[in-house]
Amino acid sequence: MGIDINIRITGGAGQGVHTAGGLISRMAVAAGYHFHSTQDYMSRIRGGRNSYSVRMMDVPARAGRADADILLALDPGHLPRFLPGLHPKGLALSDTSIVGEMERVTAAPLKELAVSAGSPILGNMVGAGIVAHALGVPSSTMDQLLALEFRGDFLEKNRKAVRLGSEWASGRLTEAFRLPPAPFRPRILLAGNEALALGAVAGGCKFAAGYPMTPGSSILLGLSTDGPPLGLVFEQAEDEIAALNMAIGASYAGARAMVATSGGGFALMAEALSLAGMLETPVVIALGMRPGPATGMPTRTGQEDLDFAISAGHGDFPRMVLAPGSVKEAYALAFHAMEATEAHQVPCILLTDQYLADTTVDVGPEDLPVLPVRRRIVRGAEVPRNADGKYLRYALTENGISPMAVPGEPGITIVVDSDEHDEEGHLTEDHGIRVRMEGKRARKEEGLAADTLPPLLSGPPDGEAVLVGFGSTKGVIAEAREILAREGVSVAAVHLRQVWPFPTGAMEEILSRYGTALTVENNRRGQLARLIRRETGRQVAGTVSRCDGLPFTPEAVAKEAKERLWAAHSTRR
Amino acid sequence: MGGAFDTAVESAWCPGCGNFSILNAVKKALERTGKGKHEIVLVSGIGQAAKLPHYVDANVFNGLHGRALPAALAIKMANPSLEVVVTSGDGDLYGEGGNHFVHNIRRNPDIALFVHDNQVYGLTKGQPSPTSDPGWTGSLQRSGVISGPFPPLTVAIALGCGFVARALASDVEHTAEMMYQAIAHKGFALVDILQPCVSFNKKNTYEWYRKMAYRVPQDHDPSDRQRAFALSLEWEERIPVGVLYRKERPAFEEVHPGVGDPPLHARQTPEDAIRALIRKRVLDLP
Repeated sequence: MGIDINIRITGGAGQGVHTAGGLISRMAVAAGYHFHSTQDYMSRIRGGRNSYSVRMMDVPARAGRADADILLALDPGHLPRFLPGLHPKGLALSDTSIVGEMERVTAAPLKELAVSAGSPILGNMVGAGIVAHALGVPSSTMDQLLALEFRGDFLEKNRKAVRLGSEWASGRLTEAFRLPPAPFRPRILLAGNEALALGAVAGGCKFAAGYPMTPGSSILLGLSTDGPPLGLVFEQAEDEIAALNMAIGASYAGARAMVATSGGGFALMAEALSLAGMLETPVVIALGMRPGPATGMPTRTGQEDLDFAISAGHGDFPRMVLAPGSVKEAYALAFHAMEATEAHQVPCILLTDQYLADTTVDVGPEDLPVLPVRRRIVRGAEVPRNADGKYLRYALTENGISPMAVPGEPGITIVVDSDEHDEEGHLTEDHGIRVRMEGKRARKEEGLAADTLPPLLSGPPDGEAVLVGFGSTKGVIAEAREILAREGVSVAAVHLRQVWPFPTGAMEEILSRYGTALTVENNRRGQLARLIRRETGRQVAGTVSRCDGLPFTPEAVAKEAKERLWAAHSTRR
Repeated sequence: MGGAFDTAVESAWCPGCGNFSILNAVKKALERTGKGKHEIVLVSGIGQAAKLPHYVDANVFNGLHGRALPAALAIKMANPSLEVVVTSGDGDLYGEGGNHFVHNIRRNPDIALFVHDNQVYGLTKGQPSPTSDPGWTGSLQRSGVISGPFPPLTVAIALGCGFVARALASDVEHTAEMMYQAIAHKGFALVDILQPCVSFNKKNTYEWYRKMAYRVPQDHDPSDRQRAFALSLEWEERIPVGVLYRKERPAFEEVHPGVGDPPLHARQTPEDAIRALIRKRVLDLP
């Protein structure tokens, strides 16, 4: 077994949990290791109970772990909640001077040392210094890492806090968690939403709009940070309705455009989604899922909007729904979304969730392939004209896709209408034209189906059982599969990175090769299981479900999958 | 006629509708700009008024009910060289799209907004609009409207809209003049056009508007915001028509970082620039 150390920092909002977690993640990279970090935070600006878990491994880490090897509780009041999640051989650190000694907890003078370093708010950095010592990361490395983030007097205070923590730990703590020396590799620390925004920018996104809503906001942040140097313009909309109508307007004018939101905001966008379907305007909608209904649990995770994403919007129109399963895939699929929405002239939804949004890992530049952007707008002599010299935005074509020109092109006009329209784009109530336009839009589904990204299968090519998931569960299911394999239970895993158009043929073929299929979903009702039944006619044996607002962990998926498989097999006997 | 912006598209309006006059005024105003049809984008929402762009030979974005302004804003952001004109109804722009009306005045994009204000929902057959007079009976308000009217000019002046005017649809020349000035104004410009609905508004008729309307006095200084505000409140006794308020401030496209030349559709995504963006993120230790 290689290196696998899970470090959990807990505290209230404003105590620097995020800062310490980020620093410890960079420590992993500096020490030559990989990491996977996740966050669990409450919907408030100050206080509450937040946690940040950093799992360090000597192989690329794909998921978080339920138990912690090192627990750093910046607020000792949180210990009763987090101690049960401490590994039996784990180390818990907290400033218990306020609450008195506690079993299994090493009392660390976080506050006292923070004050010595220059500010009582530096307890997080004292704690990070203790962790650095436990991992064997030298002070010189910590000094370098801190310089990446802080400047001037504040940098020196942070350095001092880390050093004081490290010195305090020296001699007091065992070196049970010392990381063996490993070669340093320059890596990129990237969160799911950052990767998604970066992929969209790499895919030529030039217009973005949105109204802040967790967990979509950090996509907007990424777009408005990485986009402008590449010519992207960003505007904060007055509401989500405006955001998507703006993106559609920009797309009409020839810009690759996107919006980002969460379920509630997406609900407000439903009418405009239908507009994109009618106008055949390319647009990308990033939908970061969180538990609902209504406001639900704003800062937590869930996969409850699968049904909604594939069916939102009135009327019949083709669309694409992609579901990235990792940080790397968030980048790749955002790029793909930008290309595909324009190629097929249908709206494309990128379905992510709070878990993936806030998951940070280390990747190499080679994990973020840079591909050419292929614009499909027709210009100048390429613009087709009819006998009257007119350009027809909705020219009836064999594959349903009409060449798209943009306003400003001399000699022609571009007419689009949310009403049913003729080939020129003008409103019509002619039933014959209506049928032809419906046919044209429907024909695009054939091209979409042909371009559907196939599900990714890992594990034995056939056998007793297969676990099926979509989106952010990819890494968790992959690890769960390996845990099961170690326990002698051979299962395969299928990851759906595109859920619409549903890869029906591929799924029918895969499911036919295994005795039992289970879905793994962050929702209660098994929306993926129902989708599979609807599209393939196959009933899965059950669903490993979690709907408490927290992400799956590999151990829990493995355990429940085993129980359910056992139950399914017993029933069959 | 044979005007530059004429089309052969058949109209869906009632005989005698005020929209015909507004359409003529729009074409006259566009002709005066000297711009080609490919340089103009007419944006509308839904309703009888919102069909107007189909009857003009120019670029058309006929979007959703209430959502003309967000689309128009983005078209302008994507390509500021386009002349973007929004022409739609009072229910569309003041009711369903009220939030966008407010926030786009705040933004101040260089967009001309023509509101066909007939104080009634025509296409849905006679319900009150946000500007209906209290007491007016509509098909869903049999005992009369009890909500106070939305005062578009007052709200626009309060929000600092740089060009606020009112016109009478029946006076095509003056309406065209107001429209032309609105288009020429750099920034968000509102022309509220009082328009009779011959089918569903038996109160605010051609006759009624003619009786109530008077031209803003020659000596009115349109940069006098207090006076403009007072004028905008006049309605019960008589209704001022003309430019109530005018004040230039930087247009949204001029101050928004990133908006400008080249238009978004012409901007490239060089692979080297993306590689540099990715490289910049690499955590490297000296």
